[in-house]
Amino acid sequence: MMNVTTEGNKRRSAILTPTVGVGSAALFLIALPFLLQNQLYYLDTVILALLWGAAAGAWNLAGGYGGLLSLGHAAFFGIGAYTSTLLFVRLGISPWLGMLVGAVLAAILGWLIGIITLRMKGPFFGLATIAIAEVLMIVAVNWTEVTQGSQGITVPYKPGFANMAFDSKIPYYFIALVICLIPFLLARWLKQSKFGYELMAIRDNEAAAQALGIHTVRVKVGILVISSAITAVAGTFYAQYVTVIEPYHEFSFNVSIQMVLMTMIGGLGMALGPVFGSFVVTGLDTLMRDLLQGTQGGVHAMMYGTLLVLVVLFVPEGMIPWLKERFRSGKGGRSHGSVVDSGASDQTFRGPDGGG
Amino acid sequence: MIFLQLLISGILIGGVYALISLGLTLIFGVMRIVNFVHGDMLMVAMYFSYWFYTLYSVDNYIGLFLVVPALGLLGALMYRFVIRHAIRRSHEASILVTIGLSIVIQNAALLLWSADYRSIHNEWATRSLQWGDLRISSPLLIAFIVALVVTGILFAFLHRTYLGKAIRAASMDRFAAVLMGVHPQRIFTLSFAIGIALVGVAGALLSSVFAVHPTLGTQFLLVSFVVVVLGGLGSLRGAILGGLLIGVVETTSAYFIGSSMKQLVYLLLFIVILIVKPAGLFGKRIPEVNQ
Repeated sequence: MMNVTTEGNKRRSAILTPTVGVGSAALFLIALPFLLQNQLYYLDTVILALLWGAAAGAWNLAGGYGGLLSLGHAAFFGIGAYTSTLLFVRLGISPWLGMLVGAVLAAILGWLIGIITLRMKGPFFGLATIAIAEVLMIVAVNWTEVTQGSQGITVPYKPGFANMAFDSKIPYYFIALVICLIPFLLARWLKQSKFGYELMAIRDNEAAAQALGIHTVRVKVGILVISSAITAVAGTFYAQYVTVIEPYHEFSFNVSIQMVLMTMIGGLGMALGPVFGSFVVTGLDTLMRDLLQGTQGGVHAMMYGTLLVLVVLFVPEGMIPWLKERFRSGKGGRSHGSVVDSGASDQTFRGPDGGG
Repeated sequence: MIFLQLLISGILIGGVYALISLGLTLIFGVMRIVNFVHGDMLMVAMYFSYWFYTLYSVDNYIGLFLVVPALGLLGALMYRFVIRHAIRRSHEASILVTIGLSIVIQNAALLLWSADYRSIHNEWATRSLQWGDLRISSPLLIAFIVALVVTGILFAFLHRTYLGKAIRAASMDRFAAVLMGVHPQRIFTLSFAIGIALVGVAGALLSSVFAVHPTLGTQFLLVSFVVVVLGGLGSLRGAILGGLLIGVVETTSAYFIGSSMKQLVYLLLFIVILIVKPAGLFGKRIPEVNQ
């Protein structure tokens, strides 16, 4: 594959080899909804996977690249969903504009959280973010005149581009694809930009980064702002696509954890990680629904929980590095111990750029 | 009068919060684990208590003697088979693993016992005492007294026995404790088991106060996070004072601004403490956590 070693080579191979890959990937992504046109069920799964891939990707920018283990990203997701929906339902403002307003509001909240939580280390940052999401949930539940409380809001179905509502699933697919690409491309950019290097330096050793003259405050707040804004955009799209929002879901701890889980499954601090994880989780979800055919809600969630425990314990680097390792080490090597081995060796690969 | 009433009710429920939080802060102090399973173990304990009562008509105050060892054993097993492996990695890993476990336990409870609210109607414990205008709910009073006794026993254990001293040593300086011949894994297993057993006590006591349902743990987890951070993560004394304080704050705010908003008050308090004094009111700076 692409073995980039020096700066000079990087330029050339970046133009040559990946063009073919990117081209065929693009072609596949454009053709996919038309191939699935008659299997709306699967197209729906793909759209949801892209949507959650976008949210998880946004989380990954702060959590994976910045080492900021937020456990309350549902706050931003909910802000995105509620802002656009309320503006649309109450004032008739287009969800596209609402999406922008939601992103700005989330960015402001992200900035505030960044400012006030900067001194916190270890588990305190995570606990603070949980509390903030909970506070927003309580507000959304109790501010009934505006939000209709726990009853939730239904987005009225008036198809048209301005209303971000469509008869067919295909436009939704393309919107989801674009939203999903934003954090993906940003993650790629982090890998080769000064800002990204500074961010990852802070993640790996904050004191050393500070000693090198990196303005750690500005960088950490910066990534949190970007991450929250994109999460809100995903939230708006969720509201438009699912058309029902309720505080106990949108602001819930489960939504926050879902983003973390998907990222962990694919690979923390990897551009493709959250998307991969999202497809695994959403795919499994659809599969389970097919198999169980019922209202056994508990089974899905149990699967999430088990997956989270297993991934953190046995494949802490995520499935992408693990799969890569397996393919590289030859198809013959199927010893039972290789699970643990590859997990351990991945850790040594994890250089300053987090692998992948 | 109403203030005295609120103060007393707050202190009574605060005693139970303190009991739950003691386990949480003990586990954090010794292992540096933020235990997200804590609230769910309370839920499990309450279900155990409920089932003993319903199926075998064991009074929940007698059932306590069955629930506590059962929970302690569950805690030890959970530590041995899951938590132990996360501890080696990082804060993040241990947080995520306990979150995963919490999701599994909550949903297992949902599958096994459904989402119904279940409560014990314990005849002699549901009465309330009346002194003039003051009303005191007896199950909460009993819970408070038992919580006091258990806390006393815990402190005696931690200060008077070799094992207890080893636990305190491990929480002060793990490395030095190991050098002094403290077996870390044994101490960790024991501390985790004790932490969960304390939740077992609280669960047995609370089963005649609140109805139990699968997601009950979440709200208690949040409360005990607030308590523990308020008192200083890892500080046992802090957890007791924090528990009483949050109990009073909760009952007072529930009275004045309504019970749907009471959470808002202590969550905002929580955020303020995290910003202003993350080490808590009584906590020492913990090197791994506070830089």
